[in-house]
Parts: sequence; C-alpha cells; structure tokens
Amino acid sequence: MIQLHNVFLAYQQDASALHNINLKIGKGEFVFLTGPSGAGKTTLLRLLYGALTPNRGQVLVDGQNITRMTPAQIPLLRRSIGVVFQDFKLLHNRTVFENVAITLEVLGWGRADIGKKTMHMLKQMGIDSKYNLITQRLSGGEQQRVALARALVNDPKILLADEPTGNLDDANKNQILTIFKEANIRGTTVVVATHDRRLIDQGHKRLVTLSKGEIVEQVEKETA
Amino acid sequence: MNKWKKKPPDVNRTSRRPTLSGDGFGGRAGFFLARALTNIRQNVFVNVVTVGTITLALLIVALFLLVFVNLESAVENWSERVQVTVYFDKELLPQEQTAFREKITALSGVSRIAYVSRDEAFKRFKGRLRGQETLLEGVRSEIMPTSFEIALKSAYRETASVESFVTKLKQIPGISEVQYGEEWVRRFNSFLNFMRLLGALLGGFLVIAVIFIVSNTIKLTIYSRRDELEVMSLVGATRLFITAPFLLEGLIQGLAGSLLSLALLYGVYEGFLHNAGSFITFNPAASGLSFLPLEYLSGLLLGGALLGFIGSLTSLKRFINV
Repeated sequence: MIQLHNVFLAYQQDASALHNINLKIGKGEFVFLTGPSGAGKTTLLRLLYGALTPNRGQVLVDGQNITRMTPAQIPLLRRSIGVVFQDFKLLHNRTVFENVAITLEVLGWGRADIGKKTMHMLKQMGIDSKYNLITQRLSGGEQQRVALARALVNDPKILLADEPTGNLDDANKNQILTIFKEANIRGTTVVVATHDRRLIDQGHKRLVTLSKGEIVEQVEKETA
Repeated sequence: MNKWKKKPPDVNRTSRRPTLSGDGFGGRAGFFLARALTNIRQNVFVNVVTVGTITLALLIVALFLLVFVNLESAVENWSERVQVTVYFDKELLPQEQTAFREKITALSGVSRIAYVSRDEAFKRFKGRLRGQETLLEGVRSEIMPTSFEIALKSAYRETASVESFVTKLKQIPGISEVQYGEEWVRRFNSFLNFMRLLGALLGGFLVIAVIFIVSNTIKLTIYSRRDELEVMSLVGATRLFITAPFLLEGLIQGLAGSLLSLALLYGVYEGFLHNAGSFITFNPAASGLSFLPLEYLSGLLLGGALLGFIGSLTSLKRFINV
C-alpha cells in the first residue's frame, strides 16, 4: 500500500530532514512511527499525502508514484487518504455535521446521502447528539473524534495520524485508539506518528523508530 | 482462467458514490453559489468589513468622477466662447452674405456661422451701455462694422487649430480683418490642459489607492480563513472546488459594495449636491450638478465586481498550494 525507496528530503533552512528512507507498509497494516521530536515523523507523513515531494527517491502510495504526480492529481490521491492531526484542524465556524460532511461534498455526493453517511459516522464516534454544535464548544476528545469522523467518513484506504493523542487525557486516548483499531479491522491501513509510549504499548503491531531522519529500528509484534 | 470475474478487493471503496449532486455545469455553478452564500452567512463580520471597505473606496472614486464630469461639462460650456469673428466695413448684400457663408463653411471645423448686420451690432452695443445711453446720442448705426461670427466644433478649439483656421480664413478673397481673442484662447487651453492633467493624476492615484486597499482587505479576510483552504485541500478538493466559492464570494462582495456606494452617492447627490452647481460652473443659470451618466454608473458597478473577483483571485494564489 505504501512504499518508500531511498527517499531523501532536505528543507532549505531546517536541519530536520529524511535520509535514505526505505519502508514498505502492506495493505491493512497498523504501523506506529515513533522517535524524538524532530526525527522526521511529520515530514514522513507529509510525504505520504503529497504535501511534500522528496528531493530524491520514490514514494508509492496505493500503487501511484507521488513523485511523478502533477499538482492536479494530488487531490484525487488525497480522497483515498484520511489525515488527522494533534491540533485537529477543524473549522470552528461550522457545526460538527458540516465539518464531517465536507469530505463527502468534495467527492460530489448528493445531499441526502451526505446526511445519512455523516450521521452514521457520527454515531460510530459517539458524538451524533452534538451534530449541530459549533466545534469550539466540544472537549478535546470530542474534537479529535470529529476530526477522525471527517477522515474516515469516505472509508479511506489509508489513515494517517500525526500525534493524534497529544492533547488528550488517558480515557480519550483509549477511545481514539479503539477507533483506529476498528478502522484497521475494516481494512484501512493505519499509520500513526506518536511518541506517546502508552499508546504504542497498548496498540502496537508494528513499530518503526525514526531518529535524525533515519529509520533506526523496526519491531513487529504478533499479538495486538 | 476466469480472470475477468476476479475483482481485486477494495478497488471501488472510495468510488462508492450513491448519487452525485449537481452534475454538469449548471449543477456545479449552483453548488458553488450555494457554498458562497453559506460562506457569507458563516463569516458575517468579515464580509461586512470587506463590503464596507469596497463601498467607501468606490464612493470616493464615484464622488471624484461626479465632480470631474461636471467640471468637464462646465469647461465644455466655456469653450463655446472660442469664437472667430470676421469684420467688414460695409453692409453685405444678401448674395455676398451667401457667397461668404458658403466659402467659410467649406473650411473644416465650423459648427455655426451667423451674420451680424450694422443694426444688430448697434443694438448689442447699446445693450452693453445700458444706463449710459446718453453717450450714444447723435451716433448712428453706420459707424458699426458688420461681421460673421463663427463658432468652432469642440475638436477645433485648441490654440493651434484656431490659428490654422484663421490663416485659412484670411486666404478667402475679401476677408482681411479677423479677430479671435488670441490671448483668451491660449489661456483657456492651458487651463484646460492643466485640468486634464490634474484629473488624470488625481484619478490615477485614487484608483491605485482603491485597488491597494481593497485587495489588502480581501487578502486579510482570506488569510483569516486559511484553515478552511487547508482542510479543503486535505480532504482532496481540487483547486477549482476550493477557489470557485471564494471567487463568487469576492464577486458578490464587489457588486454589493459598488451598489451600496452608488446608492450612497445618490443619497449625497439628492441631499445637497444637486443644487450646489453654481459653485463649479460659475454660471448662475445652470440648475446644478448633474448626476453621473449611465456609462459611468455601469463602469463603477463592473469595476466593483472585478475588484472583488480579481482581489480574491490574487489572494487565493498565495494561500493555496494544491
């Protein structure tokens, strides 16, 4: 599902970059990316959804080579990838429903189907009763579940998460992890970048450790 | 063997779209318009600020135009005083009058020509000396010269054109004395050129200032909504999908701003400007300032809409990296 071959990336001013990354993530895998701050976790995720292009090497996502894509092709790739962030990136002047529906609007779905699918997703996340609230009124855990609903509502092939639990307490962390696992069971490939040790211990199947822009360790565990 | 029946799993997952809203151009345009209106509803404050800025900026331009247009028509009135007079020291016979009239009108630039007889000239002279008629006691109309008064078309009222017209006039046999108030024509024309230069400079600066202010306001409002642009691009929206509602919003803001500014201008005009005319024209007979002609009004409307649209377009370019 995801392949990186000899990927190099250097920012102009920043020292943090990627050096010779080789990584293969199969369909339906659940992978944690970890490492200290500045190790290149976020940069690696940004490569995967086409926000960055490497200086050297190839990035293949869902069978498509991102390095050879035109700017017009990137949006089409992103429709099969859901992304969540530590700061949620919600639109605070819109309701919970509108924040999630935006994914389906972009795909061109009809109004009635958007309504049904969005409410179904909100129900799965346990926030369907708050569909008409402005997202600012929600707690951190609820906001992250809205962000997850937005990322998962079109059943993406890949879910990328960048420090998704960084702003959450333990109870909320567990809920979020459960949602990741459920999405993974339904067939979505999940890549989570985090340095939250507890999250990794509870959830990890495969762990990739980055340091100073290089992969320093890869561990696999049989039981989830 | 039966490889056509074997479907790779999950290949259709993201393309499972029950019904598509707004197929075709009409549906798309409808969707974008609805989106733009929703955006306006969701960002009332930002929109009020933008429309207010556009309104005030265009109101300044419109007021300037109103003054300029009226000044120009006043100047047009004055320039009608540019007149060439051909004098004769005898009364012309009707055949002679016709002959001269034909020869003079044959020159290019003549808009009107009138013969002033001795009696007519004497009457005018008397009129000018009203209250002091005693001065004219014993004086008869025979002392007055007769003349042709020639008015020129507006394109021929420049100093150089008047001079070349006079030269040609003098070449007509029988015409020797021609007067055209050289000094006045020269002064009037340099005043006219000065006015035009001033108008162009002021107008140019105003338009540049307006474009600068409006485009920066729009840039700030779009900057304040860059999260929206980012989220849209994250969920896979194409450039058109992201920008179209913003561009429509800019268009609506521009139109609303220019309409409001024209309404305000009309209010100001009706309120006190329309009877403040003698101010500019120095002509007590004029009934007052006239309102902007239709071409200017539609130009302002179109300008406002374009300002909103292009302002949004250039601002969006900075914030979208899809």
